[in-house]
Amino acid sequence: MTVRSSSGGPDAASARAAVVSVGARVGPRAWWRRQSSQRLAFGYLLLAPAVLYVLLLVGAPFLFSLWLALSDANVGEPVASFVGLENFGAALESDVFYTALTNSIVFTVVAAIFKGLLGTTLAFLLLQPFKGKKIVRGLVVIPFTLPISISVLSWKWMYDSQFSVINWFLSRIGLIGSYGSADWPVWLGQPHLAFAACIIVNVWRNFPFSAIVLLAGFTSVPTEVIDAAKVDGTTFMQRFRYVVVPMIAPILLIGFLFDTVFTLSDLSIVYLLTQGGPANATKILPVLAYQVGIQSGALGRGAAISLFLFPLLLPLMILLLRNIKRREY
Amino acid sequence: MAAPRTRRQKEIRRHLWIYGALTPYVVIAVFPIYWMAITAFKQDPDLYRMDQFPLWFHLAPTWKHFRYLFTDTNYGAWIINTMTIAAWVAVITLLAAVPAGYALARLRIPGSENLGIAVFMTYLVPAIILFLPLSRVVSMLGLQDSWWALVLVYPTVTIPFCTWLLMGFFKTVPMEMEEAARVDGCGYFGALVRVVLPVSLPGVLTSVIFAFTLSMQDFLYGLAFVAPGDQKPVTVGVPTELIRGDVFFWGSLMAAALMVGLPVALLYNFFLDRFIQGINRRRHQVGLGGAVRAPSEKTIRDRASAPDPAGRDSRYGA
Repeated sequence: MTVRSSSGGPDAASARAAVVSVGARVGPRAWWRRQSSQRLAFGYLLLAPAVLYVLLLVGAPFLFSLWLALSDANVGEPVASFVGLENFGAALESDVFYTALTNSIVFTVVAAIFKGLLGTTLAFLLLQPFKGKKIVRGLVVIPFTLPISISVLSWKWMYDSQFSVINWFLSRIGLIGSYGSADWPVWLGQPHLAFAACIIVNVWRNFPFSAIVLLAGFTSVPTEVIDAAKVDGTTFMQRFRYVVVPMIAPILLIGFLFDTVFTLSDLSIVYLLTQGGPANATKILPVLAYQVGIQSGALGRGAAISLFLFPLLLPLMILLLRNIKRREY
Repeated sequence: MAAPRTRRQKEIRRHLWIYGALTPYVVIAVFPIYWMAITAFKQDPDLYRMDQFPLWFHLAPTWKHFRYLFTDTNYGAWIINTMTIAAWVAVITLLAAVPAGYALARLRIPGSENLGIAVFMTYLVPAIILFLPLSRVVSMLGLQDSWWALVLVYPTVTIPFCTWLLMGFFKTVPMEMEEAARVDGCGYFGALVRVVLPVSLPGVLTSVIFAFTLSMQDFLYGLAFVAPGDQKPVTVGVPTELIRGDVFFWGSLMAAALMVGLPVALLYNFFLDRFIQGINRRRHQVGLGGAVRAPSEKTIRDRASAPDPAGRDSRYGA
């Protein structure tokens, strides 16, 4: 107690000294008594639990997954031996892998375009002042807030092969025939439709997120800047492109990155809707990795497949890191 | 006399335009939940018909599907599992994230900015890369097939996020308050517990909520690590255990989904702004606001002069 109160909590004189000159104050004292080293020791002590947790359960497993990918690890056998790049080679030689890779990329890009369009338009609407904005906003973000496995179930029921409520509407407005006719869409049973169905759920779930992130960005642009651009005779699109977008670029990038990481690595939508079928039409990398790694127990193979996601994610992460760093100085 | 009326008419017309434009978005967002709710209360014969308007009841609503969940399935156990898991995760997250957030925000540790960014980046390492090695870790610890595995694993998501979130909150506490506490004889720890924490209570509360909701958003870990039917969290149990083969009992499935989804959606909705702030890393405002607030004159100036997603407060930066 006395040690802490005499050094950790400075008396008036040392507080003044610390303000005037730190060097003169700490010189004669032993290093462990110095305020700064005590502060640092305390700081590292406080950081330790979080850093250890993350190192042990994110850092170490990540390195471990590199090892798994280079080994013939199986669920049943505790001992695994080194097999080099065999798992990666096996993945690259299988057709399913290429299907999954292409599907993953197409899925992410197409979904991102629709989320961008819906998100931007919605954000512009929510930017306008109007009554009941809070309620509208609360309703619109519901898809994002629902636990994903729960909301996918609702979609699975809406995509039901016979009692699909979507088909009921389409059939009522005359776009398709009645149940049993040739143009009755079986959403999860036809390859292209199944792929579209999965993308629709992803867009439905995440467009509110895009809108809210964009809205936060738009509100942070000072009106003076917009007004100045208006005075200069710019059109709406010019202001959007050359004033607003550059100003909100950091937020845009972070939101985009979050969404891309989520979309690329999410397995629940496809797993619960189609399990990757019909005939691998909706197979994406996460589903493939799960099926190979857990369901058929080939941990090594599965780890290799999921690691193929990393090169897809890495450029985005570097971009984000550089962006954050640049903004600091 | 005439001017205000036309202005009012203009205002009404503008509102109608906006509501009209917003309607499709709201309908798309809400329809699956409505469909979930109406299905949960419909009797089975009412459910499987295509000749009637499907969005309303044609037979009396029923509680049958809800009753079935609690009498014939593990639904009750899943709810309890989820609540217990979430509570443990919240405790672990707070124990790790509060000190870490404070240290990164306040103690001028060399390289704390980089450390903060590094912690946040781990939040972006997706579960799909980690779940296979973690399944080995889980089985080495003997936790496979019990929900304790999830208590161990979920904090890998919540700790980075909440550390980042709390860093922002702690930065809003004026340094002078803390210094005053130390001059009055509190150590660093005393200042943290007696001054900084009480003032940052909204932030701590927000972290608890996110520990809850983020652990509800998981599906992969629960699916991969927990196989016994009575050990699953509700977000995994409902889609995997209630669907048997090709037979779907949509009434009870939707009832199960509704009872989980509604409370989580409400809770999350309430704290969504904090979540977005955590991602945007703008300067945090103390107090629990509802909507995205229009920034004040001063914040606008600050943001314009220093858009700073890393959230470093220039006054207290290293």
